[in-house]
Amino acid sequence: MKESKISNVAAAGSPVLELKDITKSFGGVKALQGASLTLKAGEIHALMGENGAGKSTLLKTLAGVHRADSGEISLLGKTFVQGSTKLAREQGIAVIYQEPSLFPDLSLAENVFVGRQPVKGQRIDWSFMEDEASRLFGELGVALSPSTRARGLSIADQQIVEIAKALSINAKVIVMDEPTAALSSKEVDRLFNVARNLRNQGCAVVFVSHRLDEVYALCDQITVMRDGATVGSGSVHELDEPALIKMMVGREISDLFPKIDVTPGEIVLSVKNLGREGQFKGVTFEVRAGEIIALSGLVGAGRSEVVRAIFGIDKFDEGSVTLNGVTIEAGNSAKAMKSGMALVPEDRRLQGLFMSASIAKNSSITILNRLTRGGLLRKASEVATAAQWGKTLQLKYADIHDSVDRLSGGNQQKVVLAKWLATEPKLLIVDEPTRGIDVGTKSEVHRLLSQEAAKGMAIIMVSSELPEVLGMADRVLVMREGLLVGEYNRGQANPENVISTATGSIKTL
Amino acid sequence: MISIVQRAFKVREVPVFLALVLVILITGFANPRFFSISGVQDITLGVAVIAILSVAQSFVIVMRHIDLSVGSTIGFSAFLIGIESSKGAPLWWCLTVGLLLGIGVGVLNGFMVAYLKLPSLVVTLSSLYIVRGVFNEVAGGTTITNTDVPSFISFLGRNYFLGIPYLFLIALVLMIAGGLVMRHLRWARDLYAIGSNPPASALVGIPVARRIFTAFVITGGISGLAGAVLLARFNTAAANSGLGLELNVVAACVVGGVAIAGGVGTPYGAVIGAVLLQAITLALGALGVPQFWQQAVNGILLISAISLDRYLSSRVKPTQIMRVNA
Repeated sequence: MKESKISNVAAAGSPVLELKDITKSFGGVKALQGASLTLKAGEIHALMGENGAGKSTLLKTLAGVHRADSGEISLLGKTFVQGSTKLAREQGIAVIYQEPSLFPDLSLAENVFVGRQPVKGQRIDWSFMEDEASRLFGELGVALSPSTRARGLSIADQQIVEIAKALSINAKVIVMDEPTAALSSKEVDRLFNVARNLRNQGCAVVFVSHRLDEVYALCDQITVMRDGATVGSGSVHELDEPALIKMMVGREISDLFPKIDVTPGEIVLSVKNLGREGQFKGVTFEVRAGEIIALSGLVGAGRSEVVRAIFGIDKFDEGSVTLNGVTIEAGNSAKAMKSGMALVPEDRRLQGLFMSASIAKNSSITILNRLTRGGLLRKASEVATAAQWGKTLQLKYADIHDSVDRLSGGNQQKVVLAKWLATEPKLLIVDEPTRGIDVGTKSEVHRLLSQEAAKGMAIIMVSSELPEVLGMADRVLVMREGLLVGEYNRGQANPENVISTATGSIKTL
Repeated sequence: MISIVQRAFKVREVPVFLALVLVILITGFANPRFFSISGVQDITLGVAVIAILSVAQSFVIVMRHIDLSVGSTIGFSAFLIGIESSKGAPLWWCLTVGLLLGIGVGVLNGFMVAYLKLPSLVVTLSSLYIVRGVFNEVAGGTTITNTDVPSFISFLGRNYFLGIPYLFLIALVLMIAGGLVMRHLRWARDLYAIGSNPPASALVGIPVARRIFTAFVITGGISGLAGAVLLARFNTAAANSGLGLELNVVAACVVGGVAIAGGVGTPYGAVIGAVLLQAITLALGALGVPQFWQQAVNGILLISAISLDRYLSSRVKPTQIMRVNA
């Protein structure tokens, strides 16, 4: 599977799509500030950058989901009309998302042509439609039966259906947003062949991936984004790995994340050889009192799965979890909680809060036993406890009886923290504690975690934000594809080695 | 050969149809009178109204919605047709009144569900009560008697074509028409897409609100026209006509493979489901089972139908999300 050079391609060289100085704000947050991207026919173009660099926003602008505040987009020399996904598609842009949303009850052929089935007179021409779908699947070199339903199709095959859809509308630009994140290595090879095929037919393919090896194996050109702007672009031959990583990270880690230095105490949590079929295996580490451990790695590396298993939301198949000398059996989250473990989940809306219940109810729900006398809940102590935590966390609210969904994202996150801190845990697990909240609240959350650690709490923090990881953690554990592949102390960890370990460009351990 | 059988079982309607054949065979052997012409006519005549409403309902259920107002609509329509006829209005006018009533209810339901984004369960439950309330107010103690029923309608209700009741033939024609529409027209395929993956259907450019609105109007319109069938069947109508039919209709759809979760099912399945429920009710009667048990059996059948659906879809393996040691 050799990569072909750009110059081999006949149609190469002519620009298909140009995005210039795109800006886009959501509320006060600038998601894009000066993003540019030039795509040529017959090239595979990698779009790279850390989480939050603005890749998704840029792609969604192209897909017609967002509309840019300023900047120019031209497609084949004409101005690209923004504003709807349908319009974008009609102009020849197709986006294949990491997890495509097919129609599970419809046949694959109908999924390819949904909303624009070929008709003979008024009637849908089913046989023509299935033949066409069959032809497209064949062109992509994948033998899918057009009459089967999409339900149960692997993600890899779902992507193939989406690509067939892109071909059927004669897409000139095909965007693949982290397509390999959920694929097996065999499926990745197949996808690469399909992508090369598309390139050879003269399509411009945009490929988003965090895996450096994949980018170098597949792509011709790389554009790097950081903090909403394009910071560099070049061919894969010009940009080597160290240069690329430096471009992606490219910032000094400031003192935004003040972890107070604490001498670690007793071992609080000991995880030995933990494994769960198909998700992770051989995970071993310890956390001491006063320590903050960061679990770093790419999205999908198995970090959330590990902490969910430690807390007992999911069962683990092998290994052991010991908290303060007490063995926590697989799947026993009640015991985990009772022994002093708390988990602040990744998605606070779905897993962390009762959105329509009051702030007071939400903050006290974990300690109802303590607030109860004679089987009845004492309303006054519920409110008092909530108010006390509100004060500690500098929670901004109008009335403690207001429902939680009226709070901002940052303040909601504080309520989730309050709810778990109220249990006075020995071990606190936080999964993406600052995702989607503003900078001010972010540093308050960090200050709070740091304080609790100083008081002797052991903390595991799952985070995709590198500055947060490097600023907050006493030790950084890096996961990749279900395995623990690296460990760095506070002094050793730097952006380069954490990213290389997470993306697998350095084969450690 | 095996693959033909396997493929046949993948068609959702086939197992229900086999269940129907089984019920008829077992009951027939236990009580031969069930096999007689009159036995068959009992089933087909009894099921006609539910079958027609089930075809109409399937348009809504495949979109992952529901229309509970059909029982009130068909009853009120039957009553209005009788009233107009008793005043000497011609048949076409009587039918138009019934149709307009149904379309009106459908427009209100469709508007609230499609454009105000209110949940269809609540919207149509409300219109069930509202239509029934207005119906009660209009009807008072009045009863439509057989002398008020248009003669053509009462002819249809009492006569047979080659031994098949006209009313059941109407249901069959509607089923085939509905089946063809839902298989072959783009807008009808959109209904399946909407029920199968609502957010994605908007993304692929399907005019979701307009489709939902249209489907409710169709369901309402057919239910309105079906007032004539209800009138033909019983030759009478009063304030309680059509009471509770909506539940039988939803049951027939679900048993016939029109999943309440949307995205699948056909009018053929809905009618087969209706016939199966009717056959079981009559079969249990023919076997001397007390009536309250007949209802319980219907309940068990419903639960079996959804459990089977859930079981079949849970057998689809979830996708593996990661590579260990790629």
